[in-house]
Amino acid sequence: MAKVLEGPGMGLLKKWGLQTPNYVVVSSGDEFDQLAQANDWLQKSKLVAKAHEALGSRFKLGLVKVGLDLPGTKAAVREMLGKQVESVTIREVIVSEAIDHTDEYYASATSTREGVEVMVAKCGGIEVEANWDKVKRILVDIGEVPTEAALSGLVKDAGFSGDTASKMAEFLKKLYTCFDNEDAQYLEINPVVQNAAGDLVALDAVTLLDGDAKFRHKDWTFPFAAEFGRAYTKNEEEVMAVDAKVKGSVKLIEIPGGNIAMLPAGGGASVYYSDAVVARGGKLANYAEYSGDPPDWAVEVLTEKVCSLPGITHIIVGGAIANFTDVLKTFGGIIKAFRKAKAEGKLDNVQIWVRRGGPNEKQGLAAMKALQGEGFNIQVFDRTLPLTDIVDMALSK
Amino acid sequence: MSILATKDTHVVIQGGVAGVNAAKRMAEFRYMIKQPMNVSAFVYPPDAGKTNEVICGNQTVTIPIYKTVAKATAKHPEINTSLVYVGADRCYASAKEALDDSHIQTVSMITEGLPEKDAKLLGKHARTLKKTFNGPSSIGVMSAGECRLGVIGGAFDNLVACKLYRPGSFGVITKSGGLSNEIIWICSQFADGITTAIGIGGDSYPGTDYVSYLEMFENDPQTKAVIIVGEMGGDLEEQAAEWYGAKKRRVKLLAVVSGFCQESLPKGMKFGHAGAKEGLKGEGSARAKAEAFKKAGAVVPETFGALGPAIQATYDELVKSGEVTPIPELSEAEMPALPRSVEQGMKDGDILVTPLIKSTISDDRGDEPYYQGYPASELINKGYDIAHVIGLLWDGRLISKQEAEIIRRIIILSADHGPCVSAALTTIIGACAGIGLSQSVAAGMIMIGPRFGGAVTDAGRYFKYAIDNKMSVDEFLGYMKKNIGPVPGIGHRVKSLRNPDKRVKELVGYVKSLGIPTPHLDFALEVEKVTAAKKDNLILNVDGTMAVVLVDIGFPTDSLNGFFVLSRTIGLIGHWTDQKRQGSRLIRLFNYLVNYAVPSRREVPPLK
Repeated sequence: MAKVLEGPGMGLLKKWGLQTPNYVVVSSGDEFDQLAQANDWLQKSKLVAKAHEALGSRFKLGLVKVGLDLPGTKAAVREMLGKQVESVTIREVIVSEAIDHTDEYYASATSTREGVEVMVAKCGGIEVEANWDKVKRILVDIGEVPTEAALSGLVKDAGFSGDTASKMAEFLKKLYTCFDNEDAQYLEINPVVQNAAGDLVALDAVTLLDGDAKFRHKDWTFPFAAEFGRAYTKNEEEVMAVDAKVKGSVKLIEIPGGNIAMLPAGGGASVYYSDAVVARGGKLANYAEYSGDPPDWAVEVLTEKVCSLPGITHIIVGGAIANFTDVLKTFGGIIKAFRKAKAEGKLDNVQIWVRRGGPNEKQGLAAMKALQGEGFNIQVFDRTLPLTDIVDMALSK
Repeated sequence: MSILATKDTHVVIQGGVAGVNAAKRMAEFRYMIKQPMNVSAFVYPPDAGKTNEVICGNQTVTIPIYKTVAKATAKHPEINTSLVYVGADRCYASAKEALDDSHIQTVSMITEGLPEKDAKLLGKHARTLKKTFNGPSSIGVMSAGECRLGVIGGAFDNLVACKLYRPGSFGVITKSGGLSNEIIWICSQFADGITTAIGIGGDSYPGTDYVSYLEMFENDPQTKAVIIVGEMGGDLEEQAAEWYGAKKRRVKLLAVVSGFCQESLPKGMKFGHAGAKEGLKGEGSARAKAEAFKKAGAVVPETFGALGPAIQATYDELVKSGEVTPIPELSEAEMPALPRSVEQGMKDGDILVTPLIKSTISDDRGDEPYYQGYPASELINKGYDIAHVIGLLWDGRLISKQEAEIIRRIIILSADHGPCVSAALTTIIGACAGIGLSQSVAAGMIMIGPRFGGAVTDAGRYFKYAIDNKMSVDEFLGYMKKNIGPVPGIGHRVKSLRNPDKRVKELVGYVKSLGIPTPHLDFALEVEKVTAAKKDNLILNVDGTMAVVLVDIGFPTDSLNGFFVLSRTIGLIGHWTDQKRQGSRLIRLFNYLVNYAVPSRREVPPLK
């Protein structure tokens, strides 16, 4: 799942014929000034300025300013740009036209196992969250498109009537077309508002696309944003860059404040290892995973990042019995990075716990065990030890 | 018995290298259970019409490659299953092609990163056709003693360790490939092993679900219990729990679910497989799923580690109730084993192979070449030169500084001789005809023979013969005249006593200045005195000089032509690159340079 920031998200809605307010995304105050000279609407309309970053609760952080005139916007843009919020520096601001409206509505589409759920409500904004029962939905079966009848039934069911009803049905049809053609997984427009001319306008959108479909969308030139309310860290971005290059995969998510570093293999086993740490009362310093027999250098890069996590006391090198990931080869990458980290003093007072099986497991585990002779604090176990017991042992000491 | 992949499964693999790799793993399994290969065909358009060779035990099986699934099933109507090993951008079409083929009932896809929309469409298509689409991101299906689909189960020793050569009593359904193998192992250690283990893939919308497979297991009398390894996200686990709780089931159900860590993570942070994501409203959490399983009456161990003992308890119950009869273990001697490779046999020390060739000069099996045992890097670092390497590789000895200097001078003196001599001219003609470096240089090299540059060995041989037999100059010349002919190394087309060869003078002068014994050189100079007196150009030429000097410093006569070949290669490469640099065009001989001594035009008589 890949989150798309507001600017490119709005761009996709526009592409499929949905009306959006005018907007610009800027990365400097001067750029905004020039755009203001070039665009009438920036001079005439009331404006909204928002930090264009993957940040949760922007409103609370003072990163959303509404009802601005042009000078106020210029000031707001300059104030926000370059601001440091947690680990994120504000690099872009989106300025859009405020649309005068009275009523707010809600419209969304979600991918489900059965197809696509199209939802609509005659209330919007924060009101919809308190009135979830007012949201009406239809399921569009896999590979189908919603019929006119189904959509007009849906909007009537949600309480729309007259001209607005037919406009909302049309709006939802376009929303679905956009959703389907852009390989979206979740598309939420909240609020949808009616402008002075009576047209429905998408005021704010949450857009999640299927990152795996990027190969067939040449116009997805925008970067994907992290989904967890913060931007990716430098280490995470570097691991993603490696991941994009190699056969198999390497993954890293940093969790500030934890002390148990994770370096397990496999998308399935890695979560069981994380569960085991949490169940034992440990605090995760990260999530990591390598799988699909990645090259040793990719695992080495991942290991370097894991060893560099601040304040770690343990590294859990866990893994199930691999089908085809070569244990000796992948451990080769880990060992190389361990040696480097040790030489840099990063592994002082860090316990390493290893459990693994799979092709060339004997040689791989022996190589890992040999690190004991080099002064590593390392415990190595084979397949005869149950999967997550190393976590139990590591955290009981 | 088993489900999905059985002894009646016949497979077409769609894909290239990765598919062939899977076939190799599948062949190992077939060998273990003593059954013939069950992959009938590959579909891979770029290689259509060719074959893939797969080793199955001690035999090589040849498997044809087709352009389309239809062509494969037309030729191999027994095919009922397809394995998809095609890249994410093309595998929707591949899987659909397989599903649409009337012979094929099951399609299993290992491809990761298939767009969700494609996965949903394929899943629906399969359901409409009442077929099975397993995956995407599926590690495959393993039915102990019957069939392996894909790489599931890992290396051969793991197959044996997990007792996959015969069925047990436990069915396994997982989203994770690595964990499927882990559970197979646990089942073999804490119980009697598996019937079938299925990886359904960790994507958001796998083509199948737990319930369809639970139904199949329920109808498979060999399977007594099923283990589900679930993950947070989606509602497939809840559906499985609901199925189990709905009525009394024949199979027992054990389940573990991962993702409890999510409860203490920053909101929205997502781990693991693509499908492992909590709903926006918190649905699909690990806790909700585990609770659902418990409520339905399934055994739900608290941790993954507790799964082994839970499986054992279930197994013990099954044995006690008489539903399962323990299977006697195989003895060490009965354990299946892959035929060993020659390399492994030699490593183990119980295979003797007569070598095909013998080498006494160099060895490159280590991290760098060793010449006569000396590492090349050490020779470099201790100041040795190319001449010393020649000594090592041509004569098996580390020559002295002085000898190396003689060789260095010989190489410099013989490196080139201008464009007109036969070897250089041939190389130039080759370069002008657009022929590559190695071929053009080799063509020039072919010109080196008895009349040009190739007399060094013969000269060395006959002068050595004279010395070895203590001949006088007269005896030698008499012997040569009677038995051989002109003396190799004596005589020059251009040079003479009055127009001496400066290269010869230079080399002779240097060698004489060293004060080393030079019996062959001395003898050759005596011979020259006699021959040159008879005819002015019968002087000791450069080939002859090189020959006697090299024999004097101990090089074997067989190696002597090598000095000229080596030196002149430098010149020939120079001539080739020279012509290339100039962009020279094709050349041909001018007619006026040919004496056309042929009959004039005449009529061809009728063919008899």
